Amino acid sequence: MSTLTAFSEQLANAVARASKATVSVHARPKLPSTGVHWKDGVVVTTEATVQRDNDITLTLPDGKRVAAALAGRDPGSDLAALRIDKGLLPVAERGDPAALRAGHLVLALARLGDGGPRAAFGAVSATGGRWRSWKGGELDLRLQSDLRLYPGFGGGPLVDADGLVLGVNSGGLSGPLATTIPANTVDRIVERLLTRGSVARGWLGAAMQPVRGGVVLLSIEPDAPASLAGLLIGDVVIGIDGRPVESLEPLLAFLAGDVVGKNVSLDVLRGGQPTKVDVLIGERPRRTR
Amino acid sequence: MTTATSLAPVAERLTRSVVQVLSGAGGGAGLLWESGLVVTNAHVTQTREVGLVLPDGRRTRGVVTAYDGRRDLALIRAAVDLPLCATGDPRLRAGALVFAVGHPLGVTQAVCAGVFQALGKLPAGLRLPRLDPRLDWLQADLRLAPGNSGGPIADAEGRVIGISAMILGGLGLGVPSPEIEAFVKANR
Repeated sequence: MSTLTAFSEQLANAVARASKATVSVHARPKLPSTGVHWKDGVVVTTEATVQRDNDITLTLPDGKRVAAALAGRDPGSDLAALRIDKGLLPVAERGDPAALRAGHLVLALARLGDGGPRAAFGAVSATGGRWRSWKGGELDLRLQSDLRLYPGFGGGPLVDADGLVLGVNSGGLSGPLATTIPANTVDRIVERLLTRGSVARGWLGAAMQPVRGGVVLLSIEPDAPASLAGLLIGDVVIGIDGRPVESLEPLLAFLAGDVVGKNVSLDVLRGGQPTKVDVLIGERPRRTR
Repeated sequence: MTTATSLAPVAERLTRSVVQVLSGAGGGAGLLWESGLVVTNAHVTQTREVGLVLPDGRRTRGVVTAYDGRRDLALIRAAVDLPLCATGDPRLRAGALVFAVGHPLGVTQAVCAGVFQALGKLPAGLRLPRLDPRLDWLQADLRLAPGNSGGPIADAEGRVIGISAMILGGLGLGVPSPEIEAFVKANR
């Protein structure tokens, strides 16, 4: 067998291995999306492709169509968790996304209805540490590749050349490069979705803009945490819970943490004078479909 | 030979059987299928007589002797002395390596590599109204561009498994080799 044919066989073997835990998700009109059997009885897909809360079905690798129940969704990280009966198919075999470097060869998998698995091939383009998606979710690793995420590839696994699953591909979070939600983030979000149905994110109820040395409140919603705490339009927040707030990012990072229902102290400049305001952090209202 | 360098000789061998087809204001690629017969896409041939540019730059002419707009195939009779390529079975496994040769956007004899996705009908939701939904397509993760049309798609051994025909949702679509073989047989 030639070197190239051996490599081709390796790629096809990787796809075959990972495809055993890759399903088709029917939760939107026309084209289905893809899902990964993440743990026994739980399938993960991208939140944006789950366009209804009921009448969701999956096509399994053996072609069987089964019903799935939406356990929860998190638009911030673009993940949704679906429950199915246990023992229907193998659970995804996991690789380590933290070990990836730019240049590593990877595959994206999809399943569109009752056909076989589909694949796209490319290289890891960029990796990095913790970051926040434009939708507000916190991802533990940056994992971007030059893979083309074709229609229906959203929610499918990114796999390495051995067929081990590194994360879940998101069309919604992708720009010029394909973005993968790393496996450790999927674990974290799925646990919260299975227990709570959503990922609670902290909320002040104020529009803010960065200014020199802090963020200024531009508007305050009535009956929201900021107004209930007595914050005023024009207040400049310079610290939260003892940590400096020099731009929006630290404040957003704080609110993304496990802070809902906590009382925290804000350092505020009001009319140039420093003062402290205690705020009971609320939960960001959930989007309704 | 390493994996990283192993595609080049296989691709180089295939480029020797690939011509440029010039027809009216358009054109594309063509593949010498058997002696004196070049296959290409129907949409590449806008005129009955076409110009051909051989891999070494020589120019000649050919005549379109068969045309199937539905399957997007055309047969050009021309006296070209190029090597014949091997054909292969397009029923590959998803993820198997494939490559295409063509002239994307005028870059001649360009190679692009990718992987096989599927052979068969297009998935519901990805269909185009003007395409016959009963058609089978070779579907590949290949970055084709205008100018690839009519050029070969081959497996890791360099065996031709289809010819590039169109791009749909970024997906490279080709006419599978058995249908080309049947078309050539019926019209030679």
